[in-house]
Amino acid sequence: MAPEQHAASNEDAIVFENVSKFYGEVLGVNRITLKFQPGITGLVGPNGSGKTTLMNLMTGLLRPTHGGIRVLGVSPDQPHKLFSRLGYSTQFDSFPGGMSGYQFIYSYLRVHGFPHSEAHNLTWQALERVALTDAAKRNVAGYSKGMRQRVRLAQAISHNPRVLVLDEPLNGLDPMARAEVIDIFKDLADTGCHLIISSHILHEVDMIADRVVLLSSGYVVAEGEIGGVRTEMGNHPIQVLIRCNKPSIVAARLFDHDDVVEASLHEDHQGLEIRTRDADRFYSHLNEIVLAEEIDIDTVTVADADVRAVYQYLIGHEGEAR
Amino acid sequence: MTAVATRPSNTSQGPSAPGLDWRLIGRQILGILRLEVRRNLFSRRAFALYFLAFAPVAVFMIWTISPATNYFSGPAEAVAQVFAAVFVGYLRTVIFLSALITFMSLYRSEILERSLHYYYLTPVRRWVLVVGKYCSALISSCCVFAVSTSMLFLLTCLPWGPGAASRYILQGPGFANLSAYVGIAMMACLGYGAVFLLVGLFFRNAIIPAAFIWGWEWINFGLPGVLKKISVVHYLRSLYPIPLPENMAETFFAVASDPTSPWISVPGLMLFTALVLTFAGWRAGRMEVNYEGD
Repeated sequence: MAPEQHAASNEDAIVFENVSKFYGEVLGVNRITLKFQPGITGLVGPNGSGKTTLMNLMTGLLRPTHGGIRVLGVSPDQPHKLFSRLGYSTQFDSFPGGMSGYQFIYSYLRVHGFPHSEAHNLTWQALERVALTDAAKRNVAGYSKGMRQRVRLAQAISHNPRVLVLDEPLNGLDPMARAEVIDIFKDLADTGCHLIISSHILHEVDMIADRVVLLSSGYVVAEGEIGGVRTEMGNHPIQVLIRCNKPSIVAARLFDHDDVVEASLHEDHQGLEIRTRDADRFYSHLNEIVLAEEIDIDTVTVADADVRAVYQYLIGHEGEAR
Repeated sequence: MTAVATRPSNTSQGPSAPGLDWRLIGRQILGILRLEVRRNLFSRRAFALYFLAFAPVAVFMIWTISPATNYFSGPAEAVAQVFAAVFVGYLRTVIFLSALITFMSLYRSEILERSLHYYYLTPVRRWVLVVGKYCSALISSCCVFAVSTSMLFLLTCLPWGPGAASRYILQGPGFANLSAYVGIAMMACLGYGAVFLLVGLFFRNAIIPAAFIWGWEWINFGLPGVLKKISVVHYLRSLYPIPLPENMAETFFAVASDPTSPWISVPGLMLFTALVLTFAGWRAGRMEVNYEGD
C-alpha cells in the first residue's frame, strides 16, 4: 500500500501498534498490533484476558507502557479531539449520586460544550433509542441493572459518536432488551460507525459482530471474520446454567431436542446445567418450556468455564490460534 | 425502543481547529460548574463544609450572649482586636480544614465513587477540567465562608445593641473591616484550595500531607524569607485590617517578621495559585482512571 493510501486508511481506522500495558509487573496486554475497520468488532476472551485493558487504552483511560494508538487518526492523549467522535460505555456500574437518567446524560452533554437546547434534544433522542423515556426522571440509583446498562449506553451514544466502545454491553439485559440493543448496534454499524464490543460469551458475539478478536492472557490469539470461529463453535457445545423452581421438568423437556447433549441437575434441586450444540434453538425451546410449564426462572447464564473450554479448543494448549 | 439510526457527527464538534476555542472552553467550564457546585453545596459532601463553617458560629453565638462574657462592653478597638484573634483561629483551623475536605474531594470522592471516568470521556482538556472543578469548589467555599465570616463579625457587635452596632458598621470602620475579613477568607480558599486540589491528585490518604501543610503554615514565621513565600498564610498576613493584639500575634503570626505589602501579596497569592493549578493540570493530564486499589 502506498504511504498516502496507508495514512488515509488509518484516518478511518483504530490502530494499535505494538502496544503493551503493564500494571507494575502484572501484564495487561502485550505487543498488540491491530487495526479496527468500520463495522462491529467483537473482543472476546475469558475474564482477565485483557479486553477491558484494550478498551481503556483505546479511550485514554489508561496509557500504554509501550507502543502507540490512533483512533481515527487521533491520539487518545487528545481528549478534546477524541471524545467528540468516540463514546464509551464502561463496565463500571457506578453513577454520580442523586441524578435522574435525564440529568445524568444532559449534564455530561453540557460538559461536552453543547448548549441547553441541543443537549436537551440529544438527551431525549438517546433515551428514546434505549427505551428509557418513561424512567427518565427517576433517580438512577433506583434503576434495575438492565436499566443502568441502558442508561450508560444512552450516555455513550448521546453525542452521536463515530466510534462506540462497549464493555460487556449486554450484561444484565433481559432477552427482549438484548435483541433491541443488538438492533441498535447493527443500525449504527450500517451508518459506518465503528463498534468495538467486548464479551466473554462467544455466542453473543457471534450474533453481533462482523469480525472478532480473540484475547487470552493479554495476547491476541486470533482475529478475523466471524465465520471461521462460528464453524469451530458449531461443533463445540456451549454450557448454560439455569436456576429455576422445576429443574427436572426443564431437563426432561429439553432432552426431547437433539441439540441438547447433556443435562445435569444441581444438588439443591434449584437448577441445572445444560450443554447444547445450537444456542439459538436452545433458547427458543427454553422459552416454550417456560411458558408451557409455568416455570419460574431465576437466572440463565452462559458458564464462563465453557468459554474457556471453547478457547482451549480454538487456540490449542500452546495458545496458538487454530 | 426505537432503533432508528441517525447519521453520526451531525452535532458533534469534530476535531478542534488549531488553537483554543475559548467559547467552547467557557461552555465546558459552565457545564462542569453546573455539576460540581450542586455537589459541593447540596449533596452529602456539603455536610462537612456546613458543619465546619457554622459550628464555630453557633459556639461564638453562645459565648457572646453569655453573661460571663464582658469583652464586648469595651471600646470598639478592643472588640475589633478580639475579633481579629478569633478570625485568625477560624482561618487556621476551620477554613484550612474545609478547604482540605472540599478541594481534596474534587477528584478523590469521584475516584472512590468510580464516576471520574464520565468526565474523562468528554472532549474536555484535562486542565479545563481542573479549572472547572477548582472554580466550583472556590465558588462554593467563598459563598459559605462569606456568610459565616459575616455572621461571626456581626455577632461580635451584637452586645452593643442595634444602634451602636449599625453606627460601627455603616458609619465607622466596621464595614471596611468586615470586607477585609471576607476577602481574606476568600483568598485563603483560593490558596489552600489550589494546594489541596493538587494534594488530592497525588495522595489517596490526606492525613500525612495535610498535617505537613498545616505544620508548614504554623512554622511559617520562623522560616527563611524564600521559604516563607511558599505558603498561603504569608500572603494573607498583610491583608489584616487591624494589627493583632500583641500576645495573639506572638501566638499566631510572630508579627516581628516582615509582612508583604497587599499590592504584592494579592497578586503573589494569585500567581502561587496559578502555578499550583498548572502543576495540577499537568498531573491530571497524566492520570490514569483505573480505580483498582482505591
